[in-house]
Amino acid sequence: MKRIISIAAVIALILCLCGCTEEEKFLAHTEAFYVNDFADVINDSDENEILSRAVALNDATTAQVVVVTVEDLNGYTPADLALEIGREWGVGDKEKDNGIVILLSSGDREIFVSVGYGLEGALPDSKTGRIIDVYGLEYLRNDDFSKGLLEISKAVINETYLEYGLTPEVGYVPIDSIGESTELTENGGSVAIAWVILIVLIILFNLFPKKFFPFFFFFGGPRGGSGYRGGSFHGGSFGSGSSGGFAGGGFRGGGGSFGGGGAGRGF
Amino acid sequence: MKKKGLIILIAVIAIIALLAGSVISSYNDLVEDREEVETSWSQISVQLQRRADLIPNLVNTVKGYTEYEQSTLTAVTEARNALKNAGSINDQITASNRLDSALNVWVNAVTEAYPELKANTQFTALTDELSGTENRIAVARRDYNEDAREFNAEIKKFPTSILAGIFGFDAYDYFEAQAGTENAPIVNFN
Repeated sequence: MKRIISIAAVIALILCLCGCTEEEKFLAHTEAFYVNDFADVINDSDENEILSRAVALNDATTAQVVVVTVEDLNGYTPADLALEIGREWGVGDKEKDNGIVILLSSGDREIFVSVGYGLEGALPDSKTGRIIDVYGLEYLRNDDFSKGLLEISKAVINETYLEYGLTPEVGYVPIDSIGESTELTENGGSVAIAWVILIVLIILFNLFPKKFFPFFFFFGGPRGGSGYRGGSFHGGSFGSGSSGGFAGGGFRGGGGSFGGGGAGRGF
Repeated sequence: MKKKGLIILIAVIAIIALLAGSVISSYNDLVEDREEVETSWSQISVQLQRRADLIPNLVNTVKGYTEYEQSTLTAVTEARNALKNAGSINDQITASNRLDSALNVWVNAVTEAYPELKANTQFTALTDELSGTENRIAVARRDYNEDAREFNAEIKKFPTSILAGIFGFDAYDYFEAQAGTENAPIVNFN
């Protein structure tokens, strides 16, 4: 009897050990899924902005943009770690493979943007590299990782909207139309004016739908894009567990796959 | 007496059917696994082709700079032609490894001699495409090796090994990266 008990105890111990080691095999994402600031370099307001933009993009297109920061790469190359994160977490839709992983290592001073199979057309490696150069590199070099990541994810999200035939953020300049100049675009004022115009148009449209039919088409297509932009893009706050409709707590990947596309920089 | 014979006959038929069934199913498994290996190989092939196509573009961008590194460029051109003419998987692997190192040497030589190239958007774009392709090749190579290893282990196991021998399933070569050339040529923007 004693022997049976001790054997059972040993088996239980082995099973437990196996279980434990298996769970530790790869980095787990946070509840928020879209922002995983493991290196603690993104400030709260930027984190909320990235999160709400990523959620809005996912709602509109099923594409998923995930930002990850780590203190060091643990022997991975930036490209490999970003790829593994994308594959392990299943970033992007299973059918469309439309996931993007933006990985920054604060210790190695490296950034890599890994693009899923389905978005390689919208974001070829040269374009991805240029987005980093134009929108983020200056901030990253000056140790403003938070702003750099915010600007890069904004640009990536806007380019993804364009790919799906939706209107990007008002004031966004598509990366292809930016010439040789590497100056960062300063667009605070024009964005505010554009927002006001857009909101007025939305109100007018809602009051007189038929009269403003052409505008309606111009600003977001027949899917009712107007309400979408006006509402959840900036306003929503995503504190932990505050978003009602997501059973099981937080967001998760859709099963997308990656093939090694993307671009990276040391800074 | 008759009944006994019938039972034996049925038993023999049942055993044969069982054997045939297991042979057919493991044969089908092997075919499926082989397809998988072939698919992952074709992924590498696509990317190898893409890289070979990108190289002339990159060279043309640099041609604007008068005396680019001629000697190291010749090695790239030769390796590229060798890859074009490579037939078997084995030849393609060898040729691709050669192109890898030649390309690395050339890009490094060029960017060292002409640092202003780093500020050229077109050159940056092409090196990004090239590193992306290198990276895809590395990923596809890992995926291929994994599938090939599974397949190779399968055809060595008994009793599948007998079947593999009869139907001529051969082991696949692994695609090994040459030491020191696993990394894509990276333009450093410091």
